[in-house]
Order: sequence, then C-alpha cells, then structure tokens
Amino acid sequence: MEKVKVEICCGTACYLLGAANMMDLEDQLPAEWRGRVEVEARTCLELCEKENLGGAPYVRINDTEIMAQATPEKLTARIGELLTEAE
Amino acid sequence: MADALQRGYSAASDLFIEMEAAQYTKTGQAACGDDVRFMTVEKENRHLVALSDGLGSGVKANVLATMTTSMAIKFLESNVPMLEAVEIIMDSLPVCEVRKIGYATFSLFDFRLGGKARISEMGNPGYIHLRGTDEISPLRDEQIVSSHWPDREVRKCEADFRSGDRIILCSDGVTQSGLGVRKDMKFGWRRSGVLKFAQERIAADPDISARDLSAAIAHEALYLAPGGCKDDISCVVCYLRHPRVMRVLTGPPFYKEHDADYARKATLGFDHVVICGGTTANIMERELGVKVKVKLSDMRTSGGLPPIGTMEGVGIATEGILTLGRVLSALEQMRPPEREPAAARAILERMMRHDRIEFVIGTKVNESHQDPNVPQDLELRRSVVKRIAAALEKNYRKKVTVDYY
Repeated sequence: MEKVKVEICCGTACYLLGAANMMDLEDQLPAEWRGRVEVEARTCLELCEKENLGGAPYVRINDTEIMAQATPEKLTARIGELLTEAE
Repeated sequence: MADALQRGYSAASDLFIEMEAAQYTKTGQAACGDDVRFMTVEKENRHLVALSDGLGSGVKANVLATMTTSMAIKFLESNVPMLEAVEIIMDSLPVCEVRKIGYATFSLFDFRLGGKARISEMGNPGYIHLRGTDEISPLRDEQIVSSHWPDREVRKCEADFRSGDRIILCSDGVTQSGLGVRKDMKFGWRRSGVLKFAQERIAADPDISARDLSAAIAHEALYLAPGGCKDDISCVVCYLRHPRVMRVLTGPPFYKEHDADYARKATLGFDHVVICGGTTANIMERELGVKVKVKLSDMRTSGGLPPIGTMEGVGIATEGILTLGRVLSALEQMRPPEREPAAARAILERMMRHDRIEFVIGTKVNESHQDPNVPQDLELRRSVVKRIAAALEKNYRKKVTVDYY
C-alpha cells in the first residue's frame, strides 16, 4: 500500500499562522499509522499568494490535494480518511 | 547590479585582518580585570587593538584596564607619540589604596594594510608573531623609558606583518596559568608554552581562524589551572589573510526574468552560501536543479523557527524574515550563536567563520506577509538586512556588501 504523503509549508506566513504546531505531527499520529505516512517540510509551497485557496497554513497531501487553514486535528482526520480508503 | 557584485567579489582578493579575543574572568569576580578594545580607522585602512591588564582583579582592575585601553586606542588613532601617551595614561590612572600605585599593563597593535605592524608593550607578556608555524622576529625592537615613570619600560617594535601571518597578544593570566598548581610547570605555561601550543594548533589546522585560535589558547590556559580561573585570562589573535567570503541570498528578485542571474550568485560553495526564504529557495531549486531537503529530526528541534533545509552542493536554506529577525537581535545584542534556534544559529555560525559577508537581496515584497491575520509585525527584508549589516560591521568587524535584485 502506498504511503500518504504530507508536505507542510514552512514559509513565513504558514509558519506563523499554525505550521509551527505541526512540526512534530509525525509523533502525534497513532502508532498503528507508523510507516504509512510520510511527513515532509517544504520551504514554501507558494500558495499563500494565490487567491481563493482558503488561507495559510497550507499542507499538500499526496502531491495534489491542498488543505488550507490546516491544523494538526484536521490533518490527522484527513490522513485517517485516506488510510481507510486505501485499505 | 551584477557589476556591483562583481566588484564586491573581486575586492575579495584584497587582504583582510581578522582580530578576535577570548577571555575568562578570574573565578569569583564579577568583572574581568583585563580589557580588550578594537578600532578600525576606515579612511586610513588602519586596524588597532589595545589589551590591558589592570592591577589586581575584579571591578577595580576592570576600571584601570578599561581606562587604559580607552585612552591608549584613542592616542594610537591620533598618532600621539608613545612616550607621551604612556605618561598621560600613567598620570591619569587612579592610585590603588592598598598598593599605593596606579597601574595597568598594555599591549598595543597598530597595523595599516599594506604597511608594517607596530606593537608597543608595557608589563604584558611579549607578543608572538607567527608565519605559519615559524616565529618571526621584529624588524625593530627598542625600549623607551619615561622620565616621569623610570620604572616603567615600554617596548616598541615594528614587524613585517604579511599575508598569512598571525600576531598573538596575551595577558599574564595566560602565560602564568598552571603556576603554583602544576608541578610540571613551575613558572606556569609561560610564553614559550603558548608559542608551542599555537604552533601545534596551526600545524594541525593551517587556516585556523583568529577566533578559533584565540579561543583555543584561552581555553588551554583555563584548563591548565584546575579548580577555577586563578587570574583573568585574555588572548587576542590578529590574522592577516585573504577574506573568507560568504553570501546570503534572500527574497525573490523584483523582475522574474532576473531569477537565473540571481540564482547564479548562489554558486560559491556549500559552506559559504545561505538561502533565506521559502520563495528564494524555490527559485534556487528551479534554476539550479537542486532540491531542498529537510531532515525530519530538524523539524522537531527547530527551536521556534522553521527548520533548516540543505541544498546539496549549494548551501543551507532557511525561512526568511523570522530567521533573519532572530539573527539580527542576536548580532545587535552580541548573543553567542549556540543559544539560538537551529536556523539562526546555523547562519550566525557561518557569519562568525567568514570575514566578508555579501547580501544579495531580492526586493519583491511578499504580499502574504501583509495579511492582517499574521500575528506578528513582519519588517521589510531590506531594513532587517541593513541593520544586520550595521551590527556585523560595528560589533564583529566584518566587511559587508549589500546588492539588490
């Protein structure tokens, strides 16, 4: 089964608006998800300057899906859904 | 723009003098009884150092030493004859109630780039001049005595100070370290011990910086006297060499068509380049074809700033304005790099290792930083870099250039 890839934007705006709380996301995930989620930091996804995307902090999931105003809770829930779908 | 940078870089072939000091305060004292002062007289391309050891220790010694270095460096700058300067200093120092004398030793170093070095000493251990590991004798060496103070001899030397040479000045806390404590050092470490240690360090690392060598000598002096620092320890190293150039690129260029030209400025070698800013890093990725990699462990321990990334063969990549803001406050307050969050620390440590720091600033404003929801005032990159440049020049004697894209 493919891993869920999570890219957290660490640009200034995203970091200040909440990405800082997601730096240890991997440690917060349930133990049974270990090895199935790949968390990466990105210098800047350059989404904050685009209009109508919903606002920072941004997270990109599996290269295509953009989560705006991401929080550890929202992100964990979405990862859970994707893992369930993949099963 | 590019021309300006080119000029800045070609000027890197000029010589640079790195002057650094390391000190330890005598155990139990609130103030160091030695004082070190540096001065650069830009218009004369002249570099001055004054090191003084005040009589006794603690605050009283600190006052004597600070008065001595303040006066001495001002006299040096104004080219006051040495004898006259010494007499004024001696006449001015407050007299110690216990010892009934007012006294502070000094070592003065005066060097004009392209000329000879002049060293004057009174009461301090003799200076050490090294070319590689060879000790170099002065071209001229004379003693002068004041009629006011016949017991105070001043040694005046002139030295042929060339590229690659180092001059070491110490207080007696260095040369007398170990005295009375170690059986193998009846008279302490002595000047000969400092010389041998410096030669060994240079043999092991021929390019060792003045900062690292002065720190190593001071630390060794401390180590040789177990059970605490018995006397104030001060070591100054002046190292003449070609400048070590570092480049900080921050911010996207105002015109996108300048991106490629801008990215080429990042090809100076991994240890010498810092990319500050997410968009800037993305430009580098695109133009240079190198990905930024962030280690997961660095994400967890980034200490309040976004984590550091590395671009293989290019340099390190950090977030922009928050990280630069932290670098600025550390430089302005002269906080040691090791206490800073990882990204700021990495930049500060690189800055300390280099002599000439070239900023290349992309001037495009990041609109997302103006979002009223952002919980912190974000200053403009340009003004933060200007203040960083000022702090590097004033507090750390670095040469700084700033170019805009």
